[in-house]
Amino acid sequence: MATHAETLDHEHYHPPGLQHQFEDMKQQEESVSIGMWLFLAQEIMFFGGLFTVYLVFRSRFPMAFAAGSNHLDAFWGGLNTLVLIVSSLTMALTVYYAQKGNRNMQVILIVLTMFFGAVFLGVKAIEYTDKYNSGLVPVTGLNKRAVGGEAHASTNFVLPFETRASATAAEGGHGDAPYVNPKGDFVWTDTSLISNALKEQAADPEGSYLTTAERYGYFSNGNIDANKFRDKVRIFFWIYFVMTGLHALHMVVGLGLMAWLGWKAWLGTYGPDYYMPVEMSGLYWHFVDIVWIFLFPLLYLLGRHFIHA
Amino acid sequence: MANKQHEHAHDEEHEHIGIPGYLGVFAVLVVGTILTYWVATVDLDWIFPGANTLVALLIAFTKMTCVMLFFMHVYWSPKLIWLAALASFFWLAIMFSYTMGDYLTRSSGVFSP
Amino acid sequence: MQNVDALDAAYNDRPTKNYLNNGYTLKSWLLTKDHKRIAIMYLVSVSVFFLMGGLYAATIRLELLTPASDLLESGTYNKVFTQHGILMIFFFLIPSIPAVLGNFLLPIMIGAKDLALPRINLLSLYLYWVGGALTLWALTQGGVDTGWTFYTPYSTSFSNTFVMAVGLGIFINGFSSILTGLNFIVTVHTMRAPGMTWFRLPLFVWAQYATSLIMVLGTPVVAITILLVAIERVARVGIFDPSIGGDPILFQHLFWFYSHPAVYIMVLPGMGVVSELISNFSRKKIFGYEFIAFSSIAIAVFGFLVWGHHMFVSGQSIYAGLVFSFLTMVVAIPSAIKMFNWSATLYKGSISFDTPMLYGLGFMGLFLIGGLTGLFLGSMGLVVHLTDTYFVVAHFHYVMVGGQVIAYLGGIHYWWPKITGKMYSEFWGKVSAMLIFVGFNLTFFPQFILGYLGMPRRYASYPAEMQVLNIFSTAGASVLGIGLLMPVIYLAHSLFYGKNAGPNPWMLPGLEWRTASPPPTENFETTPVVTWEAYEFGEESGLDLEGARRRESVTTV
Repeated sequence: MATHAETLDHEHYHPPGLQHQFEDMKQQEESVSIGMWLFLAQEIMFFGGLFTVYLVFRSRFPMAFAAGSNHLDAFWGGLNTLVLIVSSLTMALTVYYAQKGNRNMQVILIVLTMFFGAVFLGVKAIEYTDKYNSGLVPVTGLNKRAVGGEAHASTNFVLPFETRASATAAEGGHGDAPYVNPKGDFVWTDTSLISNALKEQAADPEGSYLTTAERYGYFSNGNIDANKFRDKVRIFFWIYFVMTGLHALHMVVGLGLMAWLGWKAWLGTYGPDYYMPVEMSGLYWHFVDIVWIFLFPLLYLLGRHFIHA
Repeated sequence: MANKQHEHAHDEEHEHIGIPGYLGVFAVLVVGTILTYWVATVDLDWIFPGANTLVALLIAFTKMTCVMLFFMHVYWSPKLIWLAALASFFWLAIMFSYTMGDYLTRSSGVFSP
Repeated sequence: MQNVDALDAAYNDRPTKNYLNNGYTLKSWLLTKDHKRIAIMYLVSVSVFFLMGGLYAATIRLELLTPASDLLESGTYNKVFTQHGILMIFFFLIPSIPAVLGNFLLPIMIGAKDLALPRINLLSLYLYWVGGALTLWALTQGGVDTGWTFYTPYSTSFSNTFVMAVGLGIFINGFSSILTGLNFIVTVHTMRAPGMTWFRLPLFVWAQYATSLIMVLGTPVVAITILLVAIERVARVGIFDPSIGGDPILFQHLFWFYSHPAVYIMVLPGMGVVSELISNFSRKKIFGYEFIAFSSIAIAVFGFLVWGHHMFVSGQSIYAGLVFSFLTMVVAIPSAIKMFNWSATLYKGSISFDTPMLYGLGFMGLFLIGGLTGLFLGSMGLVVHLTDTYFVVAHFHYVMVGGQVIAYLGGIHYWWPKITGKMYSEFWGKVSAMLIFVGFNLTFFPQFILGYLGMPRRYASYPAEMQVLNIFSTAGASVLGIGLLMPVIYLAHSLFYGKNAGPNPWMLPGLEWRTASPPPTENFETTPVVTWEAYEFGEESGLDLEGARRRESVTTV
């Protein structure tokens, strides 16, 4: 039997970046594209599990979700949405310029994309810190405590227009200073939304203002039980942290991807003959943007009409 | 399908929609964001309970569609890519609908603990 | 020319350059992009996990020899069956046929040089190793006792075992699975040789494609679910804890959304192998090619709609149960279609009872029993009596061991000459196939009866009147164990002392038999051009198969 030749097919011009298992660039581009979309499909299912958890708990405890959502700052959330949309634009333009072979514009736009991505993460840091300060982190011990049970003067990262939970207990802290929370517990005492719902229910006995689960879940012996309500709000915040946290993790990976891409673009790797890595990285970046497009209204804008109504 | 072609994959629609197009889509997305923020403050519960959420989701879907079709170039992609994208949402729908189907039909009442 | 050489009975020299001797360093193996080498590394790894899972199984059967919980106390027994399940399902059954046989054969069967994304393939292997190592480490530290199903709130709030570590190991392993599936789908779409149209593909490829769809769409859900359990163990927020408003059933929905399709990940490749075995060892074109191809896709799709049949008695709504039960009956139909088509293929075929065919026929019988008992469990009335009994255990072992493992062994034997270039001992192959068949039935058939009589699963002790059947089961397990060890010995022996196989020892028309054994690194000397249909035993295949068989029967002693 003949021993194998060095190359199987006749020698021809090998475009840059063509891998050995492919016959030509078109096959490689097609393969990489299908592969990336399949990867995005599995990412959709990955986040989908979390959206299912959200769906189930939201349908059970809408009041708790509305209450928790009101304490997320929709301003920061909205700003983040816009930031990501801008970064998507710069990403799309990066692909455009990669196809045109314009190295300088590619690099500028990748840097801009990274900048906006970093802004997004910075805003998330602000938000998370606010939750930490306000006793809204659902894990005991991960909230700001006060030493010796005394209220601290506000020294931590507290911006003027950020929201706070009304976490000061009746006997606790005072005025402007953050709360008293020796164990770093999740703190929640505001049950006004339930009281409102009960009033509306009383005025309109035919309507339904609380779900069956809520009728059991928020009350003890017929009275509103603030601790039980707190537990449900805590579930909201857990979902908030896990979903936005996982999203932020994907952003970090995206930034790493962009850094690598920026480096390769600076070296002039991409042009009309070979630009698929830019396009594929773009797909990932747009996907992360799309997840946030859904997270924003579902987490930040619930029940906002309750307080404004 | 995997035919030998020695030309490079140079299709003339490389440009797709060009910079004005991208900026146009961007404008749509920004408008959508501002719209969803504003609508959230208006109580639409008089239409039916949950109307606010429905509107928010519709806006989000529209934004997603714009990003997918134009930024992610699905509009110009082969049918297989369309299928991959749509299939994922179909599977997501299976997961949501059958799970909620259980919760919604429990005999102890809707959404009982 | 290649076609004639493929049948040259006189030719049995090993090709001088093949994928095995193309580089001998450790680096050439660990950093390889060759799908065949990756398949070999998977073969060794899954065999190790199978052995370990088997040792746990032996421990279970030893404990169950006596009614009392005397060999192990209950807590330890919980760990043993949990770890048996985890190792077998996640680290053996799910990767086995796709990662070993699929990786090796898929590119060759479609006429390609390699998979579409070889580096992703290598990444899959690394992730498998990392996930496996983490899980094994956790097992040495004390393991887990939650059952492979990790039901909450026990796994999140009460278990004192290494749930997080094992969970993370499974999470990482899940991505190995996803990437393999992704790779296969892309490869089948873009890497087929000229003339290899979709309906000329071997049914093994169709089965792998369907399996890959499930891997890509289902595995991420169990990944996120296990991640949630791990987060819960740290955060202790209680989303699965009913006392504060959480929901344990939600975990079950999310878990089974993947884990039911997972059983199809396990069995579909097995069915693909069986299609190859039945057709090729009957020397007859498979009956109803399109039906079998589409039934694989149908199983993949419908398999996602039935997960609630694992939750009939969990508190799930009756109406949901109704829908899931109905769909469970529906999903049995494509499997039945395959069984009918295989039977029709056998009819008037020229059947040769070589070892792979014995496994193929064994699959048909055992999967039939396993599948039908699945329907018993899918009907809501019966399941109330049978749930969480040994009936369930027997059912899934019939489909997973009697089905998948038998198919895997059949595939290993069938393609062994292609992979290694050597023939194994047919005598010992047949002996061990028989032992496995007898041992398997003796182990698991009594368990159907035990389940019907009410013996609960996952219990270390049981009423004394059930001891006889348990003794049968353990005796069968011993026979099964011997039967499963024998291939290790004679296959290893064949590596050194086996006869050289030549490119086409079975004299078959498939594309994989038209290249050398073992194949060169690029699989084919020149890219093949396919002009024949699948399972073409006539002249259109381009090979004179009957002539070769006549020559062989004359020249062979």
